[in-house]
Amino acid sequence: MTASNFRLPKKIFQMQVAMLRVCYALIPIVVASVYLFGWRSFFLVITSLIFGILTEAVFNFKNNKSVTSAIFVTSIIFSLSLPPNLPFWMAIVGIIFGVAFGKMLFGGFGKNIFNPAMVGRCFIYVSFPIEMASAWSSPARGVFGGFNHWSFSVDAISMATPLSALRNGDAIFLEDLFWGNISGSIGETSAFLILLGGIYLIYKKAASWRLAGSCLLGGVFLSIILHVASPLKIASPIYMLLSGSFLFGTIFIVTEPISGPKSKPGQWIYGFMVGGLTITLRVFSNFPEGIMFSILIMNAFVPLLDKTMGQIKAMKKGKS
Amino acid sequence: MAKTVTQEFTKGLWEEIAPFRLVLGLCPVLGVTTTMENGIGMGLATTFVLVCSNILVSILRKFIPAKVRIACFIVIIATFVTVVELLMQAFAYPLFLKLGVFIPLIVVNCLVLGRAEAFAFKNKLIPSVADGLGMGVGFTLSLGALGAVREILGTGMFLGMSVFGASYEPFAFMVQAPGAFVCLGLMLCGMNIIGSK
Repeated sequence: MTASNFRLPKKIFQMQVAMLRVCYALIPIVVASVYLFGWRSFFLVITSLIFGILTEAVFNFKNNKSVTSAIFVTSIIFSLSLPPNLPFWMAIVGIIFGVAFGKMLFGGFGKNIFNPAMVGRCFIYVSFPIEMASAWSSPARGVFGGFNHWSFSVDAISMATPLSALRNGDAIFLEDLFWGNISGSIGETSAFLILLGGIYLIYKKAASWRLAGSCLLGGVFLSIILHVASPLKIASPIYMLLSGSFLFGTIFIVTEPISGPKSKPGQWIYGFMVGGLTITLRVFSNFPEGIMFSILIMNAFVPLLDKTMGQIKAMKKGKS
Repeated sequence: MAKTVTQEFTKGLWEEIAPFRLVLGLCPVLGVTTTMENGIGMGLATTFVLVCSNILVSILRKFIPAKVRIACFIVIIATFVTVVELLMQAFAYPLFLKLGVFIPLIVVNCLVLGRAEAFAFKNKLIPSVADGLGMGVGFTLSLGALGAVREILGTGMFLGMSVFGASYEPFAFMVQAPGAFVCLGLMLCGMNIIGSK
């Protein structure tokens, strides 16, 4: 390619209604994150957005294609899944890796096997485990909250997120979990706003209720079993669901249409497995949170699920 | 087929450089290249086996019945792998410990078997030596390069020395298995870009 035949595509952004709706649903969470963790988290979101768009533009403009709106969703979800005090350059590395390797190398929008946001997060999680597990800050309180703060310092006592606190057997208040006055990743803390976004998405049909519902079902199922099996060690289902990024993942990541399965039974199995695996990983693995890994693992099974479901359908048709 | 001995040697360095062009022998390429030292050590061990097995296969090519040739190749290769293993235990014990199971695995490295089958079995002694040497040096260079990239990015060190200073945040990802795949893929991509021009 020479510079002379390089032309910007007619439309720089290709608007996709479903993807934009996910963005609208994410806006309250971004605002809440500023209240809880200060302006730094907002700039983390903006930085990820800029570099996510740039990465996609580098690949897409070369082929005279527009930048898809899906990149907004990917970048925002990616940044909301980070701890609030993560160094900026790590977020940049993560989003570039996620978009380039998780999406563009597979052929761009609609062709990616893995969720690009999760690929990026996984990359920096594996690369910088210390920063990713310690850059938490305790949430702000009061009327203005974080609106007049840049960030809140990482302090050793409140460093633990509810998930690690649960592991240590500390008590947390249920209402804090629900409203989001807890430490954790930027966007995962407020169950209320996530549910609000989820209701909006499902009402507007931008997210599949099957995926979200089955994921929730899987999580509830597994956590009830495990809680009944050892009630002293393992927290009750309601804590399991409200803490960490389980809800955030259920509403915004599992329902991502591209890397999820297309067939209805496939969607049920996929969601249920993601939910169940998340709880299993939380309880039995060395990592406090499991939703990122369970989504990536199940993403790998999506083509198989869709193919098998198609074959079963064809067999049934052949018989009747 | 009228290639000179020099050409037989140099083809293994660029045109048919094993891990990148033939995509052969990937197991050690991905497995041991966490540091440049490991990569080069592994490459040299493989080069030794390659040259020696090529020599012996080439000498014996008239005597080995075609039907049982693979078994014969394996016996020849396994002999030299055992030699390498014992030599490394005697003279390079720390490296031997680091490379571990990958040394006996040279026996099943398809690069070694591939050169015996595809080249040494059909060619005379001198070209076979040149071929084995070229392939081996190419293999060593690739492993060294991959090892260097992964070592620098993954630990911030190069041959045990710090490159970026203490403030560097190492990409732990790069020294793990997925880092090897990503790095190899990027190097392949780079070689194809250069090669297609």
